[in-house]
Amino acid sequence: MSDQEGKPSFDLGKLGEIANSKRMTRRRMLQGAGAAGALVALGPFASACGGSQSGTSASPSGAAPKKGGHIRSGINGGNPKDSLDCHNSSINAGQKIEQTYESLLGWTPDRKLEVRLAESFPEISADGAEYTVRLKSGLTFHNGKSVTADDVVYSFRRMLDPKTLALARNHLTVISDIKKVDDLTVTFKLEKPDASFIEALAYSQSCIVPEGYERPKRPEDAIGTGPWKVTSFTPGEQVDYVANRDYWGVGPYADKLTMIEFTDSTAKLNALLGGSVDHLAMLETSQVPMVESSPGFSILKARTGGWDPFTMAIDLKPFNDVRVRQAFRLIVDRPQMIKQAFSGYAWVGSDMWAVFDPGYPKDLPQREQDLEQARSLLKQAGYDNDLTVVLNCSTATGPNDPNAAQVFAEQAKGAGVTVKVNKVDSGAYWSKGNYLSYPFAMSMWGTNSYLWLCKSMLFPTGPYWETHWKDEEWEKLVLEAYQTVDDDKRNELIKECQRIEYERGGHIVYEFHIMLDAHSDKLQGLVPDVFGAEGATNSRFNRMYFV
Amino acid sequence: MLSPVLKIILRRLAFGLLTLVVISVLVFAATQALPGDTATAILGKSATPERVKVLEKQLGLDRPLYEQYFSWVAGILRGDFGNSLVGTMLPVTQMIGRRLMNTLALMLIAALIDVPTALVLGSLSGRFRDGLFDGFVSVGSLTFAALPTFVIGIMLILAFATQILQILPAVSRIEPDASVWSQMDLLWLPALTLALASAPFAVRMLRGSMIEVLESDYVQMARLKGTPERLVLQRHALPNAIVPFIQVVALDLAWMIGGVVTVEYLFNFPGIGALLVSAVSDRDVPVIQALVLLIASAYVVFNLVADILTILVTPRLRTGLQ
Repeated sequence: MSDQEGKPSFDLGKLGEIANSKRMTRRRMLQGAGAAGALVALGPFASACGGSQSGTSASPSGAAPKKGGHIRSGINGGNPKDSLDCHNSSINAGQKIEQTYESLLGWTPDRKLEVRLAESFPEISADGAEYTVRLKSGLTFHNGKSVTADDVVYSFRRMLDPKTLALARNHLTVISDIKKVDDLTVTFKLEKPDASFIEALAYSQSCIVPEGYERPKRPEDAIGTGPWKVTSFTPGEQVDYVANRDYWGVGPYADKLTMIEFTDSTAKLNALLGGSVDHLAMLETSQVPMVESSPGFSILKARTGGWDPFTMAIDLKPFNDVRVRQAFRLIVDRPQMIKQAFSGYAWVGSDMWAVFDPGYPKDLPQREQDLEQARSLLKQAGYDNDLTVVLNCSTATGPNDPNAAQVFAEQAKGAGVTVKVNKVDSGAYWSKGNYLSYPFAMSMWGTNSYLWLCKSMLFPTGPYWETHWKDEEWEKLVLEAYQTVDDDKRNELIKECQRIEYERGGHIVYEFHIMLDAHSDKLQGLVPDVFGAEGATNSRFNRMYFV
Repeated sequence: MLSPVLKIILRRLAFGLLTLVVISVLVFAATQALPGDTATAILGKSATPERVKVLEKQLGLDRPLYEQYFSWVAGILRGDFGNSLVGTMLPVTQMIGRRLMNTLALMLIAALIDVPTALVLGSLSGRFRDGLFDGFVSVGSLTFAALPTFVIGIMLILAFATQILQILPAVSRIEPDASVWSQMDLLWLPALTLALASAPFAVRMLRGSMIEVLESDYVQMARLKGTPERLVLQRHALPNAIVPFIQVVALDLAWMIGGVVTVEYLFNFPGIGALLVSAVSDRDVPVIQALVLLIASAYVVFNLVADILTILVTPRLRTGLQ
């Protein structure tokens, strides 16, 4: 899920912002956040790290954007499995539900934490195990009811109930108690200190719903606080919204919004060029020239932190030998793979992820192809031109990934490794006995921060333990990081953790995604978003306006 | 004369029903045999064992297979096609209903373009065989027959919607809240695509049988008797040449109901083909079952209608029944 929500930015003026950079996100869905926020204060974690103002938003001239109009956006989809339940929508429904629902905190397009329904950043107790959040006063839901502490308590209890199948649950189980302090204040008690908990409050699927909310059966039951109210929902086809004129944050400027789902990218492009939509998310790279040659249309490009890695299970043959893993990493000609699998629209990775995390080690050398060394490592590991591995891949992880697998197989020949590419049906790729059991496969992740995703991906207890990662030195460091309240110290620890992965981890991270959107020049206010998972703007339609 | 026809209809319907029962068992078995399962398909990457278990319980997928099948059959007998297993879990009839209307509307428009055009072009090119007109029609129909359907669609879009002219919508997004008939302009391009894709076969078929019939003894006899050429064609040639044409048209129409996914994708048209594809990828068994039965019924019904028409236009068959 993408994201959204806008926050006050120009209304409040630039109060300056303290960019708290916490990280988060999850795979392709993922949240995002609003833009420039006026932020205020934070708890102990607060601290500014990454600086830089997120002054995106607002019209170029500084004049207030014009109101009115009907934004029609073409998005990928066409599968009727979405629902309007914000805690348990399908993965692809994120961008649809985030128009309507909001969380306590959120993210700006350049990945700084900001407040949404919360009045300020949570106060965090000295031991890092108690978070107190105060709501803005005067907020109302779409049905007119005011937003209170009871709604917050209800929302989190609902997400924690296993029957809800909430995507956020895994990040919330650390909560031992949720207490209403007064009408607008809630305290979360944690079982143990968790520096990534603040991100759980900013996660797009941790949204706040009114007490008594249940899985919506009709559009009018989809009650949130967001900039757009659902008026009509046809699963697999389209969602219609009308502007929430009582919205507390930025915009919305347009009166109406329709998100139209497309199964076929050519149809989506034709819709834009033929004037049936004003914006399309996720332009295919092969379509770039077509848009560039059409007057009146522009392309928006966003460098995101999303990544589709190769995963090596470090306890299974042959990857239980670190020399084999390092050899495989040295086999990859990254620029060539990006060129062939993504037509050049990706940026190069270096076997570490969480690239926008302040703890990302920028000083480690970029890993490059070195077939000589790969051969010699493989020889040390006992393989002499006789290693054969099966690489499992699927379009389930991304449309280009099977191509990347083929390119890898070609490149591996250079080191005397035979790679058999096994294309798995997308309906079966994630099923039990496949995903998490593959010795060598591909996966997909969004713009995540380190500590947020570690829990689910690098611990045996997490649901996505795809590399079967286990490392004593690493574990000691990462557990310390979770308990470290000081930003600088924590970032140092994260850096060490990433260095360990760089030296012996199970991922081959060769690229981070570049997302492309196309839009009519009449539609403005689009801002590239590092969270862009389902489009370069992360679906922040509240900021878009017609000129 | 009606009662033997009625007998045929009843017999064919009984066989059709049997076919549907067999198909429903096969489809159910096939969905179970596919790799992966419904809960995993719905949850995608977040399909952790605990989540899969909770969802399977909620969906009733933890019951034995025969129980799932028979509870579905029991529902059908009550006229209840069940609910979709995914998303908002709408009743299957509601999910399919509007899309079926769209598909039928599209088929109807396509047939209205396709059938008369093929009838005229086919019979005339058979009559004036090897002439300029016939050459023109032959080249045209062979060209369209050789082109994949989506290429025809893309050419029409380039010609009428985006590049050359911009007089028709490039995508056929039928608004969910209004009737498809109030959005006719959205139907022209996909309908034309379908008509151009299916007409060539009917044209070639009719031309071939026309040529054959025109060389037959009874046509020679009619001409020798001095019957005007128009009457020869209308009374003697066409009724005899049209039988294979009817069969081809029936198959074309059934194809339009079930197999036009490429056209639906290309125009982003909300029909039942695309719904079937996503139902299969989600293992949404009730929706798959309902759609497959619907498409199979269309084949049964169209073939039956074609056979009846054949009997009615063929004196030999018509009288032979008595």
